[in-house]
Amino acid sequence: MSNFQLTPAGDRVTLSLRGRLDAYSISAIWREASEALTGIDSPRVVIDGTQIDYCDTSGAAMLLDLAQISRAAGAETEFANLPEQAQQLLGLFDPTKLAAQSQQVGRSSWPERIGQWGSNVGNEIVTLVSFVGEAASALVIALRHPVRIRWGDAVRIAREAGVDALPIVSLISFLIGVILAFQAATAMSRFGAEVFVADLVGLAVLRELGPLMTTILLAGRSGAAFAAELGTMKVNEEIDALSTLGFEPVRFLAVPRILATVAVIPVLTVYANLIGLIGGAIVMMGFGISLVSYYQELLGMLDLSDLLTGLGKSLLFGVIVAGVGCLRGLQAGHGAAAVGRSATSAVVSAIVLIVAVDGLFTVIFYYAGI
Amino acid sequence: MTPPIIRVNNLTAGFADRIVLRDISFDVQRGEVFVIVGGSGSGKSTLLKHMIGLYRPQCGTVCIEGEDIVAAHGPERISILRKIGVSFQTGALFGSMSILDNVRLPLEAHTDLPKQATAMIARMKLQLVSLGDAADRMPAELSGGMRKRAAIARAMALDPLILFLDEPSAGLDPVLSAELDSLLLDLSRMLHVTLVVVTHELDSIFTIADRVLMLDGATQTIAAEGPLLKLLAHANPQVRRFFAPNKEQM
Repeated sequence: MSNFQLTPAGDRVTLSLRGRLDAYSISAIWREASEALTGIDSPRVVIDGTQIDYCDTSGAAMLLDLAQISRAAGAETEFANLPEQAQQLLGLFDPTKLAAQSQQVGRSSWPERIGQWGSNVGNEIVTLVSFVGEAASALVIALRHPVRIRWGDAVRIAREAGVDALPIVSLISFLIGVILAFQAATAMSRFGAEVFVADLVGLAVLRELGPLMTTILLAGRSGAAFAAELGTMKVNEEIDALSTLGFEPVRFLAVPRILATVAVIPVLTVYANLIGLIGGAIVMMGFGISLVSYYQELLGMLDLSDLLTGLGKSLLFGVIVAGVGCLRGLQAGHGAAAVGRSATSAVVSAIVLIVAVDGLFTVIFYYAGI
Repeated sequence: MTPPIIRVNNLTAGFADRIVLRDISFDVQRGEVFVIVGGSGSGKSTLLKHMIGLYRPQCGTVCIEGEDIVAAHGPERISILRKIGVSFQTGALFGSMSILDNVRLPLEAHTDLPKQATAMIARMKLQLVSLGDAADRMPAELSGGMRKRAAIARAMALDPLILFLDEPSAGLDPVLSAELDSLLLDLSRMLHVTLVVVTHELDSIFTIADRVLMLDGATQTIAAEGPLLKLLAHANPQVRRFFAPNKEQM
């Protein structure tokens, strides 16, 4: 049996509700009664609650909604014989205000969204430029007064970003060397030129892949960690506390991270280069090229500038990773989701910037003949 | 006499080898406002978290309408949890959702009401806590007091039989705090909701409490339990001292 009944009598229709009206039991009755009342052709509707056993706020919500639907159909609507509990509950709410509040929700128009996007991009550029300026000034001040640098923090960060990253850097660099050598050897073996694979591996690893892969790993590990750590500090108002204690958050938090990253990244890059070359050497041995031949080929092909250009780029990449990580952390909003967004944004922004800067360097080095 | 809605029996609880609550037993009656008080670190919030089944006690039981929340699993546990609503100390609102969606979440998860209905119910709950105009704002955009009220609205989403509130009025201004107390009393009276409130606020205790349980952090046991008047004249001076600043209100 349905929990409501619609009874026409003279110039009015009576909607009689029965049983328990709570969040678990009103779904069907709400839907069916709404359908029955929509467009009802009667000048008067009475919502009768004589047989209601229990009514909580969900039930009250349904009563208000049904009355609203009935009124929208042009019927004069009233409640009758509601239990005391339901009457008290209905007295707590202002149906007009409730209806007005549900109308308030609305998406902004597309010109507004474009304007908002443009404004966000503008703000982002201003923030980035001001952060770069602030960080550069803080770095200069820190280097002029090295005792004021938080060396304890810098050493801890260097260990976490450097020593702790060795296993993953080893694995990825080794595999890069192996993959590169295999791909090149497969093509070059057709021409009996397997020995020149060493040249390709050496150049690619030292000038591009060593610095690039190391920095991407650093962005994934340390850049994200910086953003999450500083983002959490922001959420916990620790950064506000630092400011009120007279510390500049950038100098206090970003400088040790940038210095630590810049200190470890060349070492990690050299290590990654070495492991990558070892990976290549192992593949070459599989193709019958001795270690000595591989080594001599590398010596003949590479010079110090190949190593130095890679290291130079890695230093700049390190600054980008640490700077972007700190910036995103300091920009974090409120709540757990904001910390997650900061970490994601730190990694994505750093990788995009690194690849873009690397592309720029490649073009510059090509035309400069380096 | 009707059976108690909550029965805590010989509850001993703690973390690793540190006992926080020792052999605690008490009942909460249906429809009453039961207030848990005690000094800082006396185990009030720990007791609350055991009562809502978040922590497992070292021994003892917590029964909600006769069903042991500690031993319950699966659908049985879900059915017990549907009877309770909890407002946490910090609000614990989901930061990625608007206030309205926070309140709608339990309605959408546990009922088959259409979206329009859950939105309407959620707006009513928010109107109850005077947050009707803030429904579409994110938790990060709210003040601490607003977050607490939104958390109460979420806890009430399914009109639970029992509402647990951890420090609901802490950090609110006196006017808001009094309004919140009045709201809690309305809920208790109109919906016959049983309230279990952990609080430090003496004004709130004097306004809302039917019975009070005071924990003693030193012995990890119950220092006193009963109606407020009984506690004000308690033989233990520590209990009297706790309520002393408000003695003149009697």
